[in-house]
Amino acid sequence: MALKLEHVSIRLNDRTLIQPLSLSVETGETVALMGASGSGKSTLLSFIAGGLEPPFTATGKVSLDGVQLDSLPPEARHIGRLFQDDLLFPHLTVGENLLFGMPRGPRPARLARVDAALAEAELPGFGERPPHTLSGGQRARVALMRALVAEPRAMLLDEPFNKLDAPLRQAMRSFVFEHIAARGIPCLMVTHDEADVPPGGRVLRLKDGEVTHA
Amino acid sequence: MNRLGAAPLLLLWALPLLAPLAMLLPAALDGEAWRMALAHPQLWPALALSLGAGAVSTLGALALTLTLLAGLYRSRVWDSLQALAASGLAIPHLAFAIGFGFLVMPSGLLARLFIGGEAPPQWVSVQDPWGLTLSLALALKELPFLLTAGLALLSRGDAALQLRQACRAAASLGHAPGSAFLRVVLPPLLKDLCWPLIIVFVYGATVVDMALVLGPTQPPALAVVIWHALNDVDPAMNGMGLAMVLLLTAALALVLGVVALLLRRARDPLHRRLAAGPSPLSAPRGLAVLLGAAALLILLLAMAVLVILSFAPRWPYPALLPPVADGAAWMKMTAAPLWVSLTLSLTAAATAVALAVLWFETQAPARDSWVNGLALLALALPQLASAGGQYKLFLPLGLTGTVFGLFLAHLTPVAAYVLIVLAGPYRAFDGRYVAAARALSVSRIRALLTVKLPLLKAPLLTAAAIGFAVSIAQYVPAQLIAAGRFSTLPMEAVTLAAGGNRALTAAFALALATPPLLAFLAAAMLGRPRWR
Repeated sequence: MALKLEHVSIRLNDRTLIQPLSLSVETGETVALMGASGSGKSTLLSFIAGGLEPPFTATGKVSLDGVQLDSLPPEARHIGRLFQDDLLFPHLTVGENLLFGMPRGPRPARLARVDAALAEAELPGFGERPPHTLSGGQRARVALMRALVAEPRAMLLDEPFNKLDAPLRQAMRSFVFEHIAARGIPCLMVTHDEADVPPGGRVLRLKDGEVTHA
Repeated sequence: MNRLGAAPLLLLWALPLLAPLAMLLPAALDGEAWRMALAHPQLWPALALSLGAGAVSTLGALALTLTLLAGLYRSRVWDSLQALAASGLAIPHLAFAIGFGFLVMPSGLLARLFIGGEAPPQWVSVQDPWGLTLSLALALKELPFLLTAGLALLSRGDAALQLRQACRAAASLGHAPGSAFLRVVLPPLLKDLCWPLIIVFVYGATVVDMALVLGPTQPPALAVVIWHALNDVDPAMNGMGLAMVLLLTAALALVLGVVALLLRRARDPLHRRLAAGPSPLSAPRGLAVLLGAAALLILLLAMAVLVILSFAPRWPYPALLPPVADGAAWMKMTAAPLWVSLTLSLTAAATAVALAVLWFETQAPARDSWVNGLALLALALPQLASAGGQYKLFLPLGLTGTVFGLFLAHLTPVAAYVLIVLAGPYRAFDGRYVAAARALSVSRIRALLTVKLPLLKAPLLTAAAIGFAVSIAQYVPAQLIAAGRFSTLPMEAVTLAAGGNRALTAAFALALATPPLLAFLAAAMLGRPRWR
C-alpha cells in the first residue's frame, strides 16, 4: 500500500502555493510535512482527501494502492483524517460517533467493534456518554478511534497534537502512532513541531512552494 | 458548487420579487393616473402624515433601543434581553395594534386603571388626527426588531468579543461605561442598524393594517388612501393607486437620500466628538430599566386586554374586569381563516428554509452578496409597491385567487427574512465537521443530513419561526392576491376591527398572535443544543 502524489501543484487565485510535487508515502511509513503557516500544508491534505474548494485549484495526480483518486469523491477515497480539533459530532454519543463511519454489517458485530475500540482507547463503558463530558485527551483518543474503525487505507493528520498541553501531547503521540502503525497504512502528517515526528518518520519541508527533504 | 442549485430560489423568489416592479412602469407613464393622484385632495396631508409616522416611530424605536442597549450592556439582565426581544418579535404587528388600541382608547384598560369616573374620558387616542398613537404603537412594536438587530452585533461571535475587549481598554484609559459605549460600541452599532432602520422607516410610513386600526381617518395615512384605491372596482382608481405608490416610494427615497447626505456632512464633527478624551458619563442603567419595563408592561397589557376582551360579552366602563365571562366569541370564530393561515405560513416558512439551504449548499459565499441585496430590497421596498406589482403580474397569469399565487406572495418577504437570518450562522459553520464526516466514507448528502443540519438545528428552527411569524402576519399581499377567494387571519382581524364586535376582534387577534409565539417557543425548546 502506498499513497502517491505525482506533479501535484496547488494555486490560490493567481499565486502558486505548492510547486509541482511528487511524493510517495509507503505502507506503515509516516511522513511529516513541515513549513510556515499559510504555506499550503493543510491545503495539500484537503486536496488529497478530495475536499479542496475554490478559490484553491490544483493539478496533478493522487493514487492509493495504485488506484487513481482524482475523480473520486472524498467518501470513496478511504482516507482517514485527524484535525487540530477532535471534531467529534456533539449531537451524537461517543458510541454513535464510532458507529458513524464504521462499515455496514450486523448490528451486534458493529456494537462489539465499538466496545473493542473504546477498550483500545482506554475508555470502556463510555459509549453512551456525550462527547462534551469527556476530557480533551479522551476526546482526542475517541477521534482517532472513530477514524480507524472506518478502516481507512491511509491517514492524514493535520496538526493533531497542536492544541493539547505538553504531557497530554506526548501521550497522544505514542497512542496515535502506535495504533496507525498497527494498521500498517501510510500516514502523512502536517506539523510545526519536529517532536511530533515518530521515530523512523521522514520529514519534508515546504518553503516558498517547494518541498525539500530534511 | 452547482449553478443549477440557485434555480429554485430564483424562480420562486427572485423572479416574483423583481418582475412585478417592471409592472409598475406602465403606471409611471399613465398621465391620467398621475393627474388623478395629484388632484386628490388628501394626497399631500396624507403623505405628510405617512412620512411623519414613519420618522417619529423610527426615531422613537431607535431612542428606546439605544437607551436599552447602552444601559444594559454587560449587565446581569443582558442575556434575558435576547429572549424578551424574540418574544416581542413574535407578536404580529396587527395583533399588537388591536391590543394596544383596546388599551389606550377612552374606555380602554389604561383609562379604567388611572382615570376612572362614571364615563370614559374625552381624549382622542385611537385614530388621533396627528397619528401619534399609530407612531407610538409602531415604535413599541419595532423595538424588538431593532433590539434583535443590535444584539446580533453585541452578543455573538468575534465582533462581540472584540467590542468587549475594546470597552475594557476604554475603561483602562479612564472612560466610564457610558462614555465607552458611546465612543466604542455606538459607531459600529449604528452602522449595523442602518438597514434595519431603513426597513423600520419604510414599514412605518407604508403600513396598511396598523394604520387601518390605529391611524387617523381625515386624512388617513397615504398607504390607506392607496389601499382603498387599489381595492376599488374602477380601473382608473387602481391606476391612481399605483401612481401614488410610486410617489410614496419616491418620497421615501428622497427622505432617505437627504438623511444620508446630512449624516455624511455630520460625520466629521461627530468623529471629532467621539475622539474627545475620557468622560465620566455613566451608563443610563436606571432609565433603561424603567423604559424596558414600561415597554414590556405595555406589550403584556396589550395581550392581556385581548385575552380579557375575547371572553367578555360586555365590559361596561369603568369596571376593571368584565362582569361575566363566556367563550361565545371563540365559538363564533370560523376555522377556515385559521387553517388557511397556518397551512400557508408553515408551507412558506418550510419552503423558504429549504430554498435558503439549497442556495448555501450549492453557491459560493461570494455570490451571497447579491441575494442579500435582493433580500434587503424586498424588505426595504414599500409592500404596496411589491404586492401591487405582483397583483398586476399575477392577474394576466391567472395566479390571483389561487393558492399558488398566495403562496408566492407570502414567500417574497418570508424568504427575504430567512435568507438574512440564516446567512451568518450557515456560512460560519465549521466545514471541518463535514470534511471529518466525509473522511469517514459518508456521502455529501448524508453528511448534510446527519451532521451539518442537526448541528445547525437552532438557527434553522429560529429562521423557520421568523419566517412563519412574518407569513402569518401578511395582510396586504394576502388581501390583494387572494382576490376574495381565501380569507386569512389578518384579513378577518382587520375587517372585524372596523366593526363593533370587540370580543370577536380580540379572539381573532389572539388567534393571530398565538401561533407565532408557539413557533418561537418550539424553536427555542427544540433548537436548544443538548451538548452544552
